[in-house]
Amino acid sequence: MSRQKLEKLGLELPLFPTTSVGSFPKPDYLVKARAEFSKKQISENELHDLERKATAFWIEEQEKLGIDVLVDGEMYRGDMVAYFAERLPGFATSGLVRSYGNRYYHKPVISGEVRWQGPLTVDWWKYAQSLTKKPVKGMLTGAYTIMDWSFNEFYPDRRTAALAIAKVIRQEVEALIAAGCKMIQIDEPALSVRPEELPIALEAMDFTTKGQNAYFLTHACYGEFEYIYPSMLELAVDNFDLEMSNSDLDLLELFRRHPFTKDISFGVVDVHSHQTDSPEVVGQRIEQALTIIPKENVWVDPDCGLKTRTVEEALEKLRVCVTAAKSFRNH
Amino acid sequence: MSATPGLYLSSTGSYPRIGDSPELQALRRTITALDRGDRTTADLLDVQNEVTRQVIAEQVKAGLDVITDGLIRWYDPISHLAGKLDNIQIKGLVRFFDTNTYFRQPVFVGRPVKRGHLVAGEYGFARNALGHLPTPQGKAGKLGIKPVLTGPYTLAKFSLGENSGNGRSESFSTVEARAQAYAEILATELEALSKVGAELIQLDEPAAIKYPQDWEIFEAALAPLVQARDKIIKSGQKLELALYVYFHDCAPLYEKLVALPVDIVGLDFTYSPKLVDIVASKGSPKTLGLGLVDGRNTRLEDPALLAREIERMLPKIKTGSAFLGISSGLEYLPRDRAFAKLELLSKVRAALRGSPR
Repeated sequence: MSRQKLEKLGLELPLFPTTSVGSFPKPDYLVKARAEFSKKQISENELHDLERKATAFWIEEQEKLGIDVLVDGEMYRGDMVAYFAERLPGFATSGLVRSYGNRYYHKPVISGEVRWQGPLTVDWWKYAQSLTKKPVKGMLTGAYTIMDWSFNEFYPDRRTAALAIAKVIRQEVEALIAAGCKMIQIDEPALSVRPEELPIALEAMDFTTKGQNAYFLTHACYGEFEYIYPSMLELAVDNFDLEMSNSDLDLLELFRRHPFTKDISFGVVDVHSHQTDSPEVVGQRIEQALTIIPKENVWVDPDCGLKTRTVEEALEKLRVCVTAAKSFRNH
Repeated sequence: MSATPGLYLSSTGSYPRIGDSPELQALRRTITALDRGDRTTADLLDVQNEVTRQVIAEQVKAGLDVITDGLIRWYDPISHLAGKLDNIQIKGLVRFFDTNTYFRQPVFVGRPVKRGHLVAGEYGFARNALGHLPTPQGKAGKLGIKPVLTGPYTLAKFSLGENSGNGRSESFSTVEARAQAYAEILATELEALSKVGAELIQLDEPAAIKYPQDWEIFEAALAPLVQARDKIIKSGQKLELALYVYFHDCAPLYEKLVALPVDIVGLDFTYSPKLVDIVASKGSPKTLGLGLVDGRNTRLEDPALLAREIERMLPKIKTGSAFLGISSGLEYLPRDRAFAKLELLSKVRAALRGSPR
């Protein structure tokens, strides 16, 4: 079904397409530049030039590795929710709140009606796509996660807030499609945190993607999926990108009990470890996937975004994904 | 305290460690410097002591009757306790409920053994710090400070078990086994806390309402703590046990919760739109903690609206007393908004008609 959709969109992909979840590590010069920019020591243009340079680096590296569906690596983003909140009218920023340990961040606050004033990611997608003939995914954060990771001082309840944000994300989806983007990933890492609110997440995603002519993926991680599976399959996307290897493929047991009915971007490499598993170990994980899911539906990628790894570690993890996926194409 | 009818204002546990101004970021700076090797653990202890004094003073300033030390020294609600036990290793980060914050997960490698007090020392410091503050007008003899412990079931649920590798045949691969092991240790901590003056202890068991299928395990793990409390009371000391639950809808378990052999049951009202109606209709045989002010959202509630809800519930509470508080700890909010939420509690009490103070 999804293969047909890809073909209709003019996207020809091999079996076991390789991709990655979204973020890559920022090269040292960009980390330094972002710190300098926050201290007003360099201009926005200077930072922007370095973000473009880093994006070009990652597109080239993905090409060299032979990855099939590319990402821009999010060189211009800090946090996946804050990036959108900082650019959308209706959001303000709170004082510092703790994430864990000694890490703190400014959490977005919904302080007024959330509105879309113009594209937020389209220029970056266009730039990344201009550097390659391979498809580049548009990368967005889902309305439910943006709502859940923000304080809400404006909307009367969480559902109303999520749907208002969905309206905005839909407009961004439309802008990406109008620019030529055919694959859009809308991440929902908060999908499983309140199982009783799954209907809100489903409604928001349905509103975001309904009737839109693109192939949609979503990434979710760190979840207690046993509480939302199989209902989560109703999410209006074509492909679930899931963290599989970090949980020792526990989710496959759920899929045995109730068939997994979508495409899956099967996370085969743990992103939290400095070490990378061998192609053989990664291959065994793909074998496991194939005991449950038809090969036409399986994509291969790392568990999650790679931004916390070094550039070298990230490249090695991607290389292993590609090696393992290619070895299955001739089976 | 809950024996005297009235509405008391109470903290629920944690308080933000830092604020936005440079002077409120001493703890963050010190930890960063410690990680770089530029400061010592003694320096960190000094700063933790100072921040604890500050947050105690803020709670008193906000007009509270029962405060905590803000859990300023806690890395997280799980590893702060489990990390002080032998035969438990602290591993990677796991998301804490739906908070988008993380705790470090304990792994049993044998029967846990207490090396020393878990929080009794910290509690002793906090009592002393409170004692050095000027007593606000009208609060003489009425201001209390309670220690907080994460309960055995929640600790166990968020820990992992490995078979003992030290020659014994014990296994802690089940939640039940881990919960009992934690319960025995926490029971001894109650005695230690009582010895340093605690008369009210808050026991947090948020996992008990999220995983109701484990209710029997949770109840069984509560038993050693209840026995420890009873023993302390028999010895002539005062001690009340307050069980707090949050981060999930507790309404389906309400009757079971208020039937537990604890003295106070603290409830999070923000996940349960029907909970006010349930309390108002079914009543409670024991004192309740009314977590009506949202500890997870910056929006400030309407004091009059909350006062009306309390007026519906308070007459149905058999003891005639309740602790008005935050739905959870306050560490999920920015510091200035956390203080505003505490100030709100006084405004709610002032808005009560007939003022059951």
